Amino acid sequence: MHLFLLALHVGGIIAAAWAGRRSMRLALAAAGIAPAAAAAWAATLMVRGTDSSDSTVVTWVDRFDITFRFTSGPVALMMTLLVSGIGALVFVYAAGYFAPTAKGATNFPATLLAFSASMLGLVWADSVWTLFIFWEFTSVTSFLLVGYKNTDAAVLASARRALMITGAGGLVLLAGLLLLASEAGTTTISQMEPVAGSTAALAAILVMVGAATKSAQVPFHVWLPGAMAAPTPVSAYLHSATMVKAGVLLIALVGRLFTGSESNGLPWGWLGIAFGTASVFWGAIGALRHTDAKLILAWGTVSQLGLMITLLSVGSGKAVFAATSIVFAHAIFKAALFMIVGEIDIRTGTRQIAELGGLARSMPVAFGVAVVSGLSMAGVPPLLGFAAKEAAIEAVLKLSGAEQIVVGATVIGGSVLTVAYTTRFLVAVFGAGPATKVAPRRLLMTVPAVTLAALSLVGFVLAPSINKILTPAASVFNPDSSVYELIRWPGLKTAFVISIAIMVVGGVLGWILTGRKASAPAPIGANLADRTLDGILIGSREVTAVVQHGSLPVYLATMISVAVGATVPFVFDGGTSHLVLWNSPLQGLVVAGILGSALAGAFVNSRLGAALALGAVGTGMSALFFIQGAPDLALTQLLVETIIVVGFVIGLGHLGREFPPVQTAWKTVRIVISLLAGTGVALALAAAGRQPVGSPPLQTIAEQSVETGGGNNIVNVILTDLRALDTLGEVVVLATVAFGVAALARARHSEEVAS
Amino acid sequence: MSIALLAAIGGLTAVGVYLITARSLSRIILGFSLLGHATVLALLTAGGPAGDAPIADRTTAADASNPVPQALALTAIVISFGLTLFLLALARRQQDHTGDDLVEDDLEDRRVAQDIDEPVMESP
Repeated sequence: MHLFLLALHVGGIIAAAWAGRRSMRLALAAAGIAPAAAAAWAATLMVRGTDSSDSTVVTWVDRFDITFRFTSGPVALMMTLLVSGIGALVFVYAAGYFAPTAKGATNFPATLLAFSASMLGLVWADSVWTLFIFWEFTSVTSFLLVGYKNTDAAVLASARRALMITGAGGLVLLAGLLLLASEAGTTTISQMEPVAGSTAALAAILVMVGAATKSAQVPFHVWLPGAMAAPTPVSAYLHSATMVKAGVLLIALVGRLFTGSESNGLPWGWLGIAFGTASVFWGAIGALRHTDAKLILAWGTVSQLGLMITLLSVGSGKAVFAATSIVFAHAIFKAALFMIVGEIDIRTGTRQIAELGGLARSMPVAFGVAVVSGLSMAGVPPLLGFAAKEAAIEAVLKLSGAEQIVVGATVIGGSVLTVAYTTRFLVAVFGAGPATKVAPRRLLMTVPAVTLAALSLVGFVLAPSINKILTPAASVFNPDSSVYELIRWPGLKTAFVISIAIMVVGGVLGWILTGRKASAPAPIGANLADRTLDGILIGSREVTAVVQHGSLPVYLATMISVAVGATVPFVFDGGTSHLVLWNSPLQGLVVAGILGSALAGAFVNSRLGAALALGAVGTGMSALFFIQGAPDLALTQLLVETIIVVGFVIGLGHLGREFPPVQTAWKTVRIVISLLAGTGVALALAAAGRQPVGSPPLQTIAEQSVETGGGNNIVNVILTDLRALDTLGEVVVLATVAFGVAALARARHSEEVAS
Repeated sequence: MSIALLAAIGGLTAVGVYLITARSLSRIILGFSLLGHATVLALLTAGGPAGDAPIADRTTAADASNPVPQALALTAIVISFGLTLFLLALARRQQDHTGDDLVEDDLEDRRVAQDIDEPVMESP
């Protein structure tokens, strides 16, 4: 079924791309079918209540355990419901968001659906390979979506920032997943056993950092506010319900592996709590400082994601259940709030809270949705967010020691600030103020928002049904979670008292802060990130300019110097017992002649003289071959050398008699490098010859040569019989060269004729 | 292992490297040819000491030189011969077009170095 649904998405992408050339709405309609089908599939499986742990396995490379694995366990179903359910609503919303009169080609619906498909693959993944591949797909498709208005430099910079941070995080994650897979001995996540030890600790750090980049945790959060440059349907989908949840999901899935072991030395929990705590507070403070309604929500998302990661890092059954509930509740209320902000943006033309006012009267439906969803975010009964936050507070009450203090401060302090920024958001946008002029309502934008707001309410009323989704999912993350449920009316217990205190304190704080005139803070973090990225690019250009200078001689000299460096170990590899001065005095004499001719060829200024010196070296080589006992080589060398000298003289053509002058400085460098190269090669060979391994089967070769090869000249038999195919290749090379030379000569000839 | 042969290999390598780092294409081809010689000698030297020609009915296996590196060296000689000729033909073509045989710097690489000050991306 997984593959069918993915195929349906691919079909949808093609249809949407085709329809996008005609009309945005047609394309959105075409694209919306696949998510709706996927959501319906997940809902059906849930209602039927089957043990839907069936999985799809596509093996690619069996030996390396490279396999695509998709599961439909409780987590996959819950996430499918969120990803595809909210996805389908977002497609409806987008049809209202983009003006129906908009003309021109668009690939927006196809790209959004491609993201949706990537996200589905990610939440279904049960193998580290599958997870990573779809993780990267979401990074790329979200980059395209954020940069949708690709004419604006600020938008492009934001998209690039998001891609670089999440992309770099993806690489860190890959390293972590590979380490984890090698420690656990399998790439299938659901089959992994808890790991321990220093490699596992490194894997824990890498996976946590990778997840933190995706889920916009401080200090990697700087990409998320920038990504608000995307059209609001994208923000409502990617930056509330889906993509930013990928990191949370990953932490939830692998958390049991790092916290389940007896040795509690793994840094997993405290690293996650550090990320989460910093994000809860810094995100909430950001939400209180900003004046753009969309940015308030974006910073609030950073804060909420931090809360989920804190609770997951605690890892107790209750905390994991609370985190799962918040993931679910947050997706619903945050998507609705983003939709409302988009509607306000479209209908009033601004998102600045200072310019907005009195919208409660002029946009009553939007106001209703915002109040319901906002109160769910603040954790006010009778809404889903309240039940989730109660679970979080109860989880804190069950902790002890330093953990209780830190996590308690985070949960309670974060909740107070959440109530405060929610209050500020609702009062500043909808409350008193100069009544803003409002355009007519668009039904397609209203319906999805109302649906989601209703879900926040219905979800609370029908908490027992929601529990059937949440408890099994949380039990996958931590089996201890199976006893917990969302509770509608907890009674006047400690947790509820704390909740009431949070609401009161947060509400008052928000009320005070709303009255304060604030101007939006400068995006220091984002600028810093941009400057870092620019610095990397400029630095790499500078390196390229130095290294890629374009001079062939210098390239060669560089490569040879590096190769010479490889011979250094041989210098210390002493032992000269295997060396003799020469095989015969004649050999020494010929070598002297060769070296003299070579030096003459190198330093003589006359071109013809150099060519003749080359000929002399070749002849000397021939003599050396003869002394070595290789008459075939000697003959071949003589023949070849004759032809080359002739070729050289022809090749010189009309060039001047003398070589052009050479720079002295560069000449010195060349001499040094060449002396080093010559010494290095000679030393390396001498060292290599000190310990010959085995002895060649000369007797066998000689016998075989006569018996099966039918020839006494063993070298000839090797070439024409034992290595006949190689020799055929050699012939082909020669023939190719001959054709090449002939073609070049003909080209010359025809040019001469033409001129 | 013969020090004389090692000296020949080292010396040919040194002169070859000196020549291929030159600007003049004819010198580069010369250097290429010398490096080829050095390689062939290295192959032979690695195969063992000098001996009789490896012809089955004229000598014994104990006295003969090693035939296997000879066969490999023969291939090497022929291939480097082919390459040298092709290089010569190319050099001749270049001469027709530019009038000399100098290796110029790569203009594309130069351009990369010059564009270094262009903005990476329009800052907002």
